[in-house]
Amino acid sequence: MRMASVHESLYFNPMMTNGVVHANVFGIKDWVSPYKISVLALLYEMTSSKITLPERRRLNKLILPLQQGPDLTLGQFLKTVEECCPQTAYAVKLRLHEMADGELKDMEYFFSTLPTPFSAFDSEAHKTSVVGLFMRHMLLAYNKLSFSQVYKLYKSLQHYYHSHYAKPTDGQVGLPALAADDSEMDLTSIEDTVGVRVDKEELDAPLHESELRSDGTPSRGPLSQKQAEYFLARQAYLLKNDENKALKPAALQEELNNMLKFNPDFAEAHYLNYLNSMRVQDIFLSAHSLLHYFDRLILSGNEGKSNGDEGYGRSLRYAALNLASLHCRFGHYQQADLALQEAIRIAQESNDHVCLQHCLSWLYTLEQRKGSESTVLTQDSVKMAAHFCLPYLGSLDIQSLVQQGAMQGKAAHKLMDALKDTEILHWKHSLSELIEISLAQTTSIWRMYGKSTMALQQAQLLLNMSSLEPVNFGVHQNNTEAFAVALCHLAELHAEQGLYNATSEIFQHLKEQFPPHTQHSKLWMLCDLKIQFERHMNDRKYHLAEPLVKAMSALNKTEGLYRKAHVLKALNRSTEAYSILQQLQVHCEKTKCTEIIIRVMLSTAELHWESSGFSTALPLLLQALALARQHHLQSLASETILHLAFTQLMLGVPEQALNVLHEAMEPILAHGAVIDKGRAMLLAARCHMAVAGFKLKGQGHLDLQLAALAVDSLNEAASYFSKLKCKERLRDVHYLQAQLYRSLGQTSQSNRCAMNFRLLDQELQSPAPPVFMQL
Amino acid sequence: MIGYHCLPHIQEDAQDLDALTLAKSYFDLKEYDRAAYFLKGCCSQKAYFLYMYSRYLSGEKKKDDETVDSLGPLEKGQVRNEALRELRVELSKKHTARELDGFTLYLYGVVLRKLDLLKEAVEVFVEAIQALPLHWGAWLELSNLITNIEMLKSLSLPDCWIKDFFMAHMYTELQMIKEALQKYQNLIEAGFSKSTYIISQIAVAYHNIRDIDQALALFNELREHDPYRIDNMDTFSNLLYVKSMKPELSYLAHNLVEIDKYRVETCCVIGNYYSLRSQHEKAALYFQRALKLNPRCLGAWTLMGHEYMEMKNTSAAIQAYRHAIEVNKRDYRAWYGLGQTYEILKMPFYCLYYYRKAHQLRPNDSRMLVALGESYEKLSQQVEAKKCYWRAYSVGDVEKMALLKLAKLHEQLNESDDAAQCYMLYIQDIFSCGEQLEHAEVSTALRYLGQYYFKNKLYDEASLCAQRCCDYNDARAEGKALLRQISQVRDQVETPSADLFTPLSNNNTPVRRVSPLNLISFTP
Repeated sequence: MRMASVHESLYFNPMMTNGVVHANVFGIKDWVSPYKISVLALLYEMTSSKITLPERRRLNKLILPLQQGPDLTLGQFLKTVEECCPQTAYAVKLRLHEMADGELKDMEYFFSTLPTPFSAFDSEAHKTSVVGLFMRHMLLAYNKLSFSQVYKLYKSLQHYYHSHYAKPTDGQVGLPALAADDSEMDLTSIEDTVGVRVDKEELDAPLHESELRSDGTPSRGPLSQKQAEYFLARQAYLLKNDENKALKPAALQEELNNMLKFNPDFAEAHYLNYLNSMRVQDIFLSAHSLLHYFDRLILSGNEGKSNGDEGYGRSLRYAALNLASLHCRFGHYQQADLALQEAIRIAQESNDHVCLQHCLSWLYTLEQRKGSESTVLTQDSVKMAAHFCLPYLGSLDIQSLVQQGAMQGKAAHKLMDALKDTEILHWKHSLSELIEISLAQTTSIWRMYGKSTMALQQAQLLLNMSSLEPVNFGVHQNNTEAFAVALCHLAELHAEQGLYNATSEIFQHLKEQFPPHTQHSKLWMLCDLKIQFERHMNDRKYHLAEPLVKAMSALNKTEGLYRKAHVLKALNRSTEAYSILQQLQVHCEKTKCTEIIIRVMLSTAELHWESSGFSTALPLLLQALALARQHHLQSLASETILHLAFTQLMLGVPEQALNVLHEAMEPILAHGAVIDKGRAMLLAARCHMAVAGFKLKGQGHLDLQLAALAVDSLNEAASYFSKLKCKERLRDVHYLQAQLYRSLGQTSQSNRCAMNFRLLDQELQSPAPPVFMQL
Repeated sequence: MIGYHCLPHIQEDAQDLDALTLAKSYFDLKEYDRAAYFLKGCCSQKAYFLYMYSRYLSGEKKKDDETVDSLGPLEKGQVRNEALRELRVELSKKHTARELDGFTLYLYGVVLRKLDLLKEAVEVFVEAIQALPLHWGAWLELSNLITNIEMLKSLSLPDCWIKDFFMAHMYTELQMIKEALQKYQNLIEAGFSKSTYIISQIAVAYHNIRDIDQALALFNELREHDPYRIDNMDTFSNLLYVKSMKPELSYLAHNLVEIDKYRVETCCVIGNYYSLRSQHEKAALYFQRALKLNPRCLGAWTLMGHEYMEMKNTSAAIQAYRHAIEVNKRDYRAWYGLGQTYEILKMPFYCLYYYRKAHQLRPNDSRMLVALGESYEKLSQQVEAKKCYWRAYSVGDVEKMALLKLAKLHEQLNESDDAAQCYMLYIQDIFSCGEQLEHAEVSTALRYLGQYYFKNKLYDEASLCAQRCCDYNDARAEGKALLRQISQVRDQVETPSADLFTPLSNNNTPVRRVSPLNLISFTP
């Protein structure tokens, strides 16, 4: 029985004091490692030997990344140095060789010959310089080592040096040529490439190592503190900005587990774990990791240079706040509310206004998500943020205020003014993230207002902007939600103009940038479905459109329901369609979703048309028009006018219809989609014909001037429809054209159009719908 | 090592005897490298085992020494026993050549386990057991690797009498207490009635199912038979602590210190002792000492957490609990402790998560349910709170608080019928225990019931409750006032409807409601 417990009890944890295991018992983050010795050797060589000026310059540029980056292998290190100055690299290698192949005393001698930053006044290694500080750190750390630690360090140096030679690497074993003839090269270009190369090396290092380690190769050293920090920072950054460049969720999880296994005190890893689990929507693990992180943080906060009880009190507040955000993201609004209340209470008790401010902005977000009015809260939040000088939160609040305002139909110039003001703030504080959001928001607002050119311009502006982040890990453009939104708008704008090739290219790009498993992929998925749906509907391929409805409902319930009504309407199942539309209207009036309300009204009006209830459709359309105008939704307003004009035409007042139509013509031709343009022109032609006294098959007297106008309009409509390959409508147009030409006596033209009609009719094979009962 | 003396001596043993004896002496002095050096050339099985085992222990010792001298904080957890890999290579060669005996197989298993090759380790341990069934160490190592009952059933173990011990041990580990007790009973009947090991195991089993009195009796018996025993005494002290038996605990602590003060169990007992005396700093100190002796000692981490909680050092408490969870994720006490810590920090929503975890691990433990209920109540989630309290009562409430809390909740929500019913059940519950719990709020319940009956015009019951109220100091005045009121009302209505009233009251009372009249039988 004793034997089994012997193994365990031998273990003794020296880091434990007062029952608390300290992660960093001495409070020093710098430790001498073989790599650090190599860097020291490099610095030593640089101060002692003569190097040409360009080489020195390149080396100087290298120092900072080498000092602050993670540990490299000797091969990587020597390669980087070699690229700057082969001569120095050789000298460094020689010095390391002396130490590694010699005895312990050689290493001791090396440390004793290092220029002491206190004595060297004019050299670069002066005590206040970056290099001097590093040297002081290293010397201090070295001098603190105990006897056995020094021996261990020497052993690991030997291992470090020899492992480089154990595996033959191409071209590095042989000593490099001393003659450096690259001094004539263009300086600037070299400097650039060196910077990039170092970056790349750094990027590869931790990943490479991790792969090896998971294979169970024991020769690789574990991650050092710096490496681990670097790894975490990089992954967290990528998760936020460019998710598909980060490790895959499973790989990252494994990496983190590994890290935690070796170093359970590394609390930040738990936080990254939380972020990672959020990616795959794993509530269980994410909650677990989040709480674990804060359990750990509470300790380190207490240990650090805290002011009184602020140490862990602070993290408690943020722990509750984070929990609230977690629940909010998973859609558990009640839970989120409770957690938020708790955070607010604790923050109030300890008078932490900054935290309270954060809570406030979460509060209105939560209210918004729950679908209730939160403008007042948001306004308060803006005021508070301004008072406490929190530019980030402040302008975030303003942005969400603008969004709410846009939804509620606030005056456009006020919204734009507000956005402009925040823009100034963003650039002043270089809040690049918010700049992106703001641009995407402007795009959306312009789109909503129906100004496609402005939207296009804003979207292009965002997409052509390169990343403003001060530290971008080789990411030139962020893959944030803002970009996804802008790209989706771009795709829709192209689809509207019938440029389907361009659209599919954009979607290809979106698919690459935001693979289906990532968090923003839903945006483009919905967008893609919408465009496909519209196309099928225009082609009257309802059987193809129907399955898309289900996919859409999965992504967005309201949208799915609306489209379902559309399909039902097209399939002549009016009763079902009507009940769905009613249901939708009630729902949207509750959630104040004006755009959908107007669309629903239009669809309802169309349903009325089918039962020839043109007069019942009128009030509905007028109501929709008023709503659209109130909210400055120009494209929807134009669409409503089209409907209105059509209704009036059917009611037999074509003059009125023409008057109304004129109002919408300009915006539609300027900003509208191609299909709308075609519809407008067709409608205009029909109005003209009606006014001109044209009757199908009837041979009345024709107003020739108006008829000529109608011919023009029809031609234009035909060109629009053929652009979209919308054959059904094209057939209608040809029919009208043929009739018109015949009544004008131009038989050859008439025959040509009639032939076109016949060809299309044969091709389509479906019976023509009751002529012109639709817009 | 004892097992070796039973093995038959053969030629090789005789040859190696001198070297082996010398090495064994060095081994006993913990000079493992030296022992290994002198055993290098030996070819007997015995010498070979000692040789390998010395190398293994030498590696372990060096690993522990290394941790002190590590070059950076991140290397701390990464120090490895360098000897393990070499040992594995050598042993696996011999293993495939089938040259390993029971002991070396055991060592091979240990090496594999240390290298985290758990599946292989299980196989090798089973092999070791089959080669040498009487080596309990191998059984114990195997027991650490078995995670569930299916796995246990799938192993092919030799049919030896020691297997019963193992099965009983496993049942205890897997919390299948009933089966374990049955096994131990069988073993006692089979002739092991004097075995202190079995008695102690039964006591631990009773402790696990919270049958405190049985467990205490068994431990006392055990102490009589085996007065210098230290194993399991920490469990004993836990029991004494729960029962607040100060003198007994003090005696136990002093006794154990005399036997060996540098044992984990001793430290835990002393910690408990100080904790009971409310000297929490000292208690924490002793738990720390226990952890220094064995950092994988789970109970000590949790107990230390409790001590820090008492000292209001929440951050240290959280740390201790977290460590406990790290050692064993299924430690419900640590989860519960974390929940309590956050509750003290006034974060009722935050602590819900921890209580839920604890509840998951012990679904039938009323304490977690009551804690959950309280948290919900603080968050004004009355529906959930009610559910929790009712469930706590249903699974057998230990502290008898769930019903009272439920009743109060109903009272707050003006659900007087439910409240009354809960108070009724509560009073019954308290009295059926036979003893008056110190903090029992029987008076509150009686007071409420009195008023309730009075309002519902059930004057007989009301007066009974009022009379009972008068037994308690804090409710006496109210009881008397109520009695006066009742008599007043009775005077008013006496003449018209004395006999009309009785059937009415019967109708009014729901069937499920228990008449308070039967309380009389429980009068203390």
